[in-house]
Amino acid sequence: MNTPSWFIDDNDGIKRPRLLLVDDDEVNLMLTAIALRDRGFEVAEVTSGEDALAALRAGAPDIVVLDALMPGMDGFQTCQALRAMPGYAQMPVLMLTGLDDDASITRAYRAGATDFYVKSTQWSLLSGRLRYMLRASRTRIELERSKFKLARAQDLARMGSFDWRRGARLGHLWLSAEALRVFGRTADERIELRALLRMVGSPQRRGLMRMLNEVVAHNAVLATDVSVTLFDGRQRVVHVEAEAEFEHGHGVGYTGVFQDVTDRRVAEDRIRHLANFDALTGLPNRRHLIWRTERALEHARRLGHNAALLLIDLDRFKNVNDTLGHAAGDELLMEVARRLRGCVRHSDQVMEGALEAAGTRSHRTLEAVGRLGGDEFVALLPEVADNADAERVANRILEAMREPIFVAGQECFTTASVGIAMFPRDGLNLADLMRNSDVAMYSAKTAGRNSSAVYSPQLGGRGREKIELEGHLHKAIERNELVLHYQPKIDVRAAKMVGAEALMRWQRAGLLVPPGDFIPLAEETGLIVPLSEWAVREAARQAKSWQLNFGFTDSIAVNLPSRLFERSDLVENIHQSVSAYGVPHKTILLEITENNLMKDLHNVSLSLHRLNEIGVEISIDDFGTGYSSLAYLTTLPISELKIDRSFVRDLGITPQSSAVVSAIIALARSLGLRVIAEGVETLRQMDVLHQLGCGVMQGFLFAKALPPDDLETWLKQTVLPRKAPWIGAARDDEPVPRVRGRA
Amino acid sequence: MPIEPIVATQALPALGLLDAAAVARLQELDPSGSAGLLPRVLATYTQSLQRLLEQLRTARREADVHVQHRVVHTLKSSSASVGALKLSALCADIEHKLRDGLTVGLGAQLDALTVEGERILAALHQS
Repeated sequence: MNTPSWFIDDNDGIKRPRLLLVDDDEVNLMLTAIALRDRGFEVAEVTSGEDALAALRAGAPDIVVLDALMPGMDGFQTCQALRAMPGYAQMPVLMLTGLDDDASITRAYRAGATDFYVKSTQWSLLSGRLRYMLRASRTRIELERSKFKLARAQDLARMGSFDWRRGARLGHLWLSAEALRVFGRTADERIELRALLRMVGSPQRRGLMRMLNEVVAHNAVLATDVSVTLFDGRQRVVHVEAEAEFEHGHGVGYTGVFQDVTDRRVAEDRIRHLANFDALTGLPNRRHLIWRTERALEHARRLGHNAALLLIDLDRFKNVNDTLGHAAGDELLMEVARRLRGCVRHSDQVMEGALEAAGTRSHRTLEAVGRLGGDEFVALLPEVADNADAERVANRILEAMREPIFVAGQECFTTASVGIAMFPRDGLNLADLMRNSDVAMYSAKTAGRNSSAVYSPQLGGRGREKIELEGHLHKAIERNELVLHYQPKIDVRAAKMVGAEALMRWQRAGLLVPPGDFIPLAEETGLIVPLSEWAVREAARQAKSWQLNFGFTDSIAVNLPSRLFERSDLVENIHQSVSAYGVPHKTILLEITENNLMKDLHNVSLSLHRLNEIGVEISIDDFGTGYSSLAYLTTLPISELKIDRSFVRDLGITPQSSAVVSAIIALARSLGLRVIAEGVETLRQMDVLHQLGCGVMQGFLFAKALPPDDLETWLKQTVLPRKAPWIGAARDDEPVPRVRGRA
Repeated sequence: MPIEPIVATQALPALGLLDAAAVARLQELDPSGSAGLLPRVLATYTQSLQRLLEQLRTARREADVHVQHRVVHTLKSSSASVGALKLSALCADIEHKLRDGLTVGLGAQLDALTVEGERILAALHQS
């Protein structure tokens, strides 16, 4: 037999559907069975309802055909019993009825039959009907499955659908089982719209109701996020999205979904927070501060009032980082941030977009303190009456710093310098205000720190370049832009290096800034203190490095300003520096100019004694130029005098100069001090000095100040091979007593 | 439509009582006659008819209208299937009457049904 075309018709998904045929009329049973087998069905025949149920219990067919009228259990009873059996709720059942038997048709459906068929010998019609039922059944199963999948997906997405119909008062609301779960309810519970609305806090509820009424009135699309408190007290954010349903052109209700978007919202808030707030201190970051300031300036411009920008920079924060470590530095910054936050309002809110909603005074909520980076903070005061207003806040800030901060197991005293710039007086835009508050802040630092300064054009009048230079110098140490160059000190008779003087250089953007351009500025701003401290440390490090490279055991001279000698921690500082690199204290030779020394002799002398006690030697720089009382030379623990370059320059030219030089040498000799000449540029000067009894000198004749590596090269290529013109020029045949130190 | 099987089945004497179109429909189910469908159907019908006539007699004696109804219903469709159209039509009339609760002329019709039934049964028994 050829395979009939319907046999491979896969529409019903079953190649040979199993069919249970139930008919007490054996003739019909037989004929129907034969006809259906012929049409691709696998037919099992039974002649009574009882037998049918027994067959079903033994195994399920794909479809059941039931004669309606049978002795014993008739078709209707059989169908009802079948439906009650587990697994048979969806079984397709075709009821066979007589022609024009309307009552049976109604009864068939009531008994749970899927469809009815009027008995006839039109077998192809019957077969077609059965195939259609199988397809429908399959479609229905797939629908059930996809409905189940949807429910599961919705559950996973914490989403569920709802329907709402217009009606009296709040109308009627139906929630799917999944939607009920979104609100913490089980499938068999119900929630009225009233109860849902009660989950929204009362201030927001009014706004929500207004919005809902508006949307519903226009049959508009509803899409909003609502914060709710569930029955068990959990706070969730639920997204509602729905569209209007229409009947005959009239909106009759809405259908849509609820989705719990709390996690997403929390993540979004976190992202927004990370983008706008400093991770360490939790204060608004630079980006957010800029945003706030620009909004505040807009308002100030519109309403015609003043605004103030306060730049806050911690004094000597670097010391904390260097001595206590970065963790302690971070701890300190956090505490500072906490205190600063107490000085202004509203630092914690993310407010993009929210501003327009609040009234005309809303700009005041922009007030904030934020962290620009490092130890720099900014306070924004969106509305101030005058300077005094801003200064009050600045003083509050300085006051807040007064209490010691406990970090890394010890108390730290932190002060800040605050620069104030006012809108519109000191700048019309953010950039100008920032720059001018910066200028003011540096002037506060120069004035001795721990103070505030209001910007004035006089401060700004110092020239843009200088201000910029100062700003950069401020960060030069952190950025490793400072270097020390070394000018060798030469014992000309022995033709060897006996020490070096460290001279500071600033490598800024690839160029070397000459010391004359930044040392006075550093002195003026107080930056000379950290700079000098750094220099001592760096010199100690270099001495160690040379010791390892070529057995260097001499001293390196470091120039110190007098204000450094006034500091109580100088001795400790030097001690720490040399200890850090494991070199003896005498490795560091401190040079102080005669002028500096004389300015504050009393304060400085104490320091010098203490330094001397730990083995650090002191050299008087530029000796002979100051207005000095020679008496100090007898009371201070000085080891060396350095003859000023102005006398050396004129040696061999004017007899007066050699008279002064020989006087200095004689003085040193009688006091038992070493003497050294600087600025030696010619062989003639060298000769004269040597003849006068000064054998140690430095100057371009020998070498200019060199980077450490170059100095090593110079030693190797010039001094050791004894190749320089000055070597051997100092005659040994003129015995001049050498000046020796006090050993 | 194959001719030969029809010729073959005309050997059955009872076929003269049965509607030709109905018989032809039955033959369509077994075109070659190899399955012996027609004799099997007729045998089944004979047994069924015999049993139903017996049940009807008992039901009339006991005045069991319910069984009478079921018998005529079953006999109506099986008779139609094999082409005993007169019998089937009688059954249909009686079924209607019973369903509507009409008793006028019911006895005579039931008698006529029995007669026709016996006649067909006799013819089938001869084959």
